[in-house]
Amino acid sequence: MKILIVDDEPLARSRLQDLLDDIGGHETVGQASNGREALTLVQKLKPDLVLLDIRMPELNGLEVAMHLSRFEQAPAVIFTTAYGDYALKAFEANAIDYLLKPIRRTRLEQALSKIHRPQPSQLQAVTQATEELQGRQHICAHHRGGLKLIPIGEIIYFQADSKYVSVFHQGGEVLIDEPLKELEDEFPDRFTRIHRSTLVANAFIESLIKDTDGQCQLKLREIDKPFEISRRQLPMVRKLIASMGEHNNT
Amino acid sequence: MSEAAKNLEQRTFLPDFCNIRIVFSVVVIAELLAIVLSLASPASAGSSWDYLSLASLFIQWIALISTATLCTLRPLLARLSNSNAAIAAYALLLLITLAFSEAAYWISVTIGTGSLTIAMDHLEFLGRNIAICAITSFIALRYFFLQYQLKRRIEAENQYRLQALQARIHPHFLFNSLNTIASLIRRQPRQAEEAVEDLADLFRHTLNSTSARVPLTEEFEITRRYLQIEQLRLDQRLKVEWQIDMLPDDATLPSLTLQPLFENAIYHGIEQLVDGGTIRCLGSFDGKTIRLSITNPVSGGDETRIRPGLNMALDNISQRLQAHFDEAGQLTVSRPQGYYQVELSFPYIPYRNLEPRQP
Repeated sequence: MKILIVDDEPLARSRLQDLLDDIGGHETVGQASNGREALTLVQKLKPDLVLLDIRMPELNGLEVAMHLSRFEQAPAVIFTTAYGDYALKAFEANAIDYLLKPIRRTRLEQALSKIHRPQPSQLQAVTQATEELQGRQHICAHHRGGLKLIPIGEIIYFQADSKYVSVFHQGGEVLIDEPLKELEDEFPDRFTRIHRSTLVANAFIESLIKDTDGQCQLKLREIDKPFEISRRQLPMVRKLIASMGEHNNT
Repeated sequence: MSEAAKNLEQRTFLPDFCNIRIVFSVVVIAELLAIVLSLASPASAGSSWDYLSLASLFIQWIALISTATLCTLRPLLARLSNSNAAIAAYALLLLITLAFSEAAYWISVTIGTGSLTIAMDHLEFLGRNIAICAITSFIALRYFFLQYQLKRRIEAENQYRLQALQARIHPHFLFNSLNTIASLIRRQPRQAEEAVEDLADLFRHTLNSTSARVPLTEEFEITRRYLQIEQLRLDQRLKVEWQIDMLPDDATLPSLTLQPLFENAIYHGIEQLVDGGTIRCLGSFDGKTIRLSITNPVSGGDETRIRPGLNMALDNISQRLQAHFDEAGQLTVSRPQGYYQVELSFPYIPYRNLEPRQP
């Protein structure tokens, strides 16, 4: 099996490597010291399994797993942790395997034997467990052969066309293939569906304006062109702006 | 216990008058008061039983109505401070006594025959009853207050001990250190050995009573041992700068005041940054007061994601400082842009070697 080791501590990584060497029969294709590196290496090296430390800076193991589950040919995931009872219950509930540091060789062997090749059900279970524990803080897009991680707070709006969704953020524009509806459901408090094909970030809403025909349109910060609001969504958008105005005044 | 319930408990020293046991105690006290009064009153043959029964009736009415009122008004009273609640309860009792005395007087005037006659004039009757109520209520309230204080002190001590226990051994640190040692055994066995010794020293120190006092050098020594272990784990990500030469070596402070602050700085600060950062420890001494500050960088992320245990640990240290140095021991937190800073200040008290030191 091709394995990627992910842990922010160099000695923890080397220990896992030692254990894998003892067990034998597997190939470590790489090591990553943080979440970003992990995602990039998975995309490049396509391992069968990722040994993923939960506690890492910026992008923790749970978020990495969430992004991995959206990859084509996503790898299987086994989490490692020194201590963390809040996560472990969710893992147990979803039949996710995890290893407690310091890891016993026999325990690692056991975990590896349960994974012959990535199975969709493992990924589903992982996604479920991780989403129960925390939400995504980034959107992961495949961009120019590499990966781009966009913090949710920097996203201005999503625009859907026939096949893909464009993500317009403060740093530019990327394409993802997650359906708008799913994004709307995942972040109900941060984004609002103003139109069948547009999902805007509440934080970037500036004001409602009227165009030459008297139609209501939405003006977003940092974007020049105004956005069409569908008739059905208009009352809800008005209410949102009103409540945001109140919030700003208090 | 819910937050609201806890606040209720803490805010008022008045017992829960809705509780049947308290009501029973009130009835007993009222009856005892009636008995005392009838024993004290000038005995005229045969009439002391009448007096007792009338007095009991009168006092029990007042007592039970007062209890009922205090029970109903509990939520309102709970919002007041202790002194305001006391004044309110006191005023209430006096008012109820006044009302009942007035009622009793009018009954005696209207129906008044035989033992129902009140052998004094209106104002004197009211005055006496108010006075009895005033004194009795005062004694009762004082008693409740003292009981409450005692209970709180015991609770605080228990809570404090529990916190101290929890503050000592962080599982995160323990298991990560063991993992680090396990990793070093094959590749760098000598360092592994040293790490085991450091860990042993650290735990020996933490397992001692946290009310122990140590000289400043010892506290720094333990902190350094802790940092050495963490250095193995975090490697280049952890850097520490010290500016503590000005501090007197023999200054006394409670054990385990500094090391947890560094632990927090690492757990919430350094570990959250991909490239890590530098913890700065600065100390100053003006002859009387020692000031220490520990500063670490923080990631730009959500402030709300900080572990709740952080505040508890800081609270614990703050309380222990205050316990040792009275009000002169202070812990303050500030958040200059991009950083988290904890400042300690406490008076200089030279350490006198009272107990045999550990080898």
